[in-house]
Amino acid sequence: MIHSYLYLSIILFCLGIVGVISRRNVFTVFMSIELMLNAANLAFVAFARVHESMDGHVLAMMVMAVAAAEAALALAVVILLHKHKSKLDTNVFSLLKG
Amino acid sequence: MFADGLFLGFAVLAVLGAAGLVVFRHPMNGAMSFVVTLISLAGLYALLSAKLIFALQLIVYAGAIMSLIVFIIMFLNIQPSDLPKEETKLVYILGGLAVVLPIGLFLAKIVKSLPLSSTAILGNDFGGVKQVGLLLFKDWLVPFEIVSILLLISLIGAVVLAGKKEAVK
Repeated sequence: MIHSYLYLSIILFCLGIVGVISRRNVFTVFMSIELMLNAANLAFVAFARVHESMDGHVLAMMVMAVAAAEAALALAVVILLHKHKSKLDTNVFSLLKG
Repeated sequence: MFADGLFLGFAVLAVLGAAGLVVFRHPMNGAMSFVVTLISLAGLYALLSAKLIFALQLIVYAGAIMSLIVFIIMFLNIQPSDLPKEETKLVYILGGLAVVLPIGLFLAKIVKSLPLSSTAILGNDFGGVKQVGLLLFKDWLVPFEIVSILLLISLIGAVVLAGKKEAVK
């Protein structure tokens, strides 16, 4: 049944939100964002199966491309921040606080 | 049914991997349990007869992106003393679950109102490379080109950010 796939997608998305708002390690926060993207992908593919059209598959491919771009940029930023502060704590990275 | 058993196994593995990602202290342990989630999601895509997405999930996500993340984690050589001290982590996680639970229940209520439909595995090339590729280059050509520009920009940005000091100045 299609409902179980959508329930699983909801559970994974909620776990991703919990990871983003409750952890302070940069890498864990980053991978939680990736987890949310994957949950959205699962919903896309499940709905593509329901309607038997492949637009959801194309959208899932584009989400993967966006995730790859995000990974490249975010890891470069993390390397720079680690070089400057030698910490991995998101509370330390408050440069925009004013 | 065999497919139902496979779905149950993959779903339990995916949720356990995601929970491990949220709970583990060292990012390397979290990355390894996230790889379990990604691979079981690939199995779920195969059960939804999305053949191309199944292969791409394994090659691009579990292969390329996760190896990049693991490479950076190992490159920074993180000692346990470098990690942020999170004594109240469990309290925060429980609080986060309490915040997110209403949203999840709301979404579940929406899903419940959807009509039932079967997920039996489709034959006749649904989700194969040829069909998805034709769709991608016919109906989705402009978004595809925009994604290629996005990848180019992120490439330039990564080189500028992580390059030599002279390049930044």
